[in-house]
Amino acid sequence: MNKINVEITVNEKKYELEVGAKERLLDTLRKQLKLTGTKEGCSVGECGACTVILDDEAVNSCMVLTAQVDGSKIITVEGLESKGGLHPLQKAFIDNQAVQCGFCTPGMLMSALALLNKNPNPNKEEIKTALEGNLCRCTGYQQIIDAVEAAAAEWGK
Amino acid sequence: VIDYQFIKVNTVEEALKVLAEKNNVKIIAGGTDVLVELHKESKDLESVDYLLDISGIEELKDIKITEDKVEIGGLVTHSRVLKNKFFTENIPFLAAAAKDIGSTQIRNRGTVGGNVCNASPAADLFAPLLALESEVVLRSQKEKRKLKITDFIKGPYKTHIKKDELLEKVVFKIPAGEYYCNFQKIGRRKALNISRLCLAFLTVIEDGVIKKANLVPGAATPYPTPFKKIDDYLKGKLLADIDPAEIGKMASDSMVEITGERWSTPYKRPALSKLAERAVSCVKEEAGFDE
Repeated sequence: MNKINVEITVNEKKYELEVGAKERLLDTLRKQLKLTGTKEGCSVGECGACTVILDDEAVNSCMVLTAQVDGSKIITVEGLESKGGLHPLQKAFIDNQAVQCGFCTPGMLMSALALLNKNPNPNKEEIKTALEGNLCRCTGYQQIIDAVEAAAAEWGK
Repeated sequence: VIDYQFIKVNTVEEALKVLAEKNNVKIIAGGTDVLVELHKESKDLESVDYLLDISGIEELKDIKITEDKVEIGGLVTHSRVLKNKFFTENIPFLAAAAKDIGSTQIRNRGTVGGNVCNASPAADLFAPLLALESEVVLRSQKEKRKLKITDFIKGPYKTHIKKDELLEKVVFKIPAGEYYCNFQKIGRRKALNISRLCLAFLTVIEDGVIKKANLVPGAATPYPTPFKKIDDYLKGKLLADIDPAEIGKMASDSMVEITGERWSTPYKRPALSKLAERAVSCVKEEAGFDE
């Protein structure tokens, strides 16, 4: 098993890393970079807890080998906060009671951010499609959809 | 134990060189199948000595549309298929099938070439690609060959790709004249579903007469097979005269002819029948023959 040198930009910070041939992007973020906001749920691309934004697209970080994404830009939930303040999406999640146990929240936020970055005025169907790969076992989804709608309205201002 | 060397290539030439020179090479593209196997510590990966990452090969990421032909590079993601304007307007059943794959995250990584090469009996793209009579273009250092998708698939999860070959693209002719297509699917739930059953229907008509009809189910048979009998039956008939329910019955009979009576037959027979009926109804309606 070989080691691979990669350079990736995570939350606008550049890292030069040595990664294993089986190392997933999820492992690199959590273990090497200690960015533990990204969660590991099912490990097989079904629950979306590990969602990050890879070169502008929402992806499951458990479905990507870090060695594959040399030169890429990645945004994790830790990249949302700026100057100690919450991101409008994070505020909307709190205001709309969209967080219960919170395990799915980082992934939900990333899927929502990927959507709003491309489409600042999504309709309900577009929001549901963007979040369809993110499971939540607490809220029943309605509050999460409300939160993304509220954040989109804020975005438009 | 899974123990391989990771090799990243950036051009087709480099990939073909690795495939020609090394043994026990497994190709990884979007990774949505390989990473699942890796997590499960699948026995199949134990024999892999080299994991060849082709995800950076830019020349395989094009969708080329000419007057009469479409070429989809092996690395085109499902997201790009479903958002492609030409497809949504002219080949909507292909975009619909791509939209039904996995979730947004999976569609952003999963590729057309991967879906075809993995040859899952439930691969969503097979039904429309077969209905379009698609071919795959395979390349090795020695040759470039074209195979019909039906000839490319050997069985569930098996294809006729040779060990030194790379799937370059999937190609099909744009149907000529007046044509209609439709995609139907049943999944256990809306998102993330792996097809329980799907069905693609494409028909070309001239003055109301069916010139060509391709009805292809997905996840109904061990590997996707066009229902030739239905196609032959439809050819030459007036689309307006076709009874969708009858085609539905023919579709489920054709399925059982291939699979025999299985534990899932009591479910699949009426379900496939309804999918075929709906597909034919939709096409008739679109063609202006209201039910």
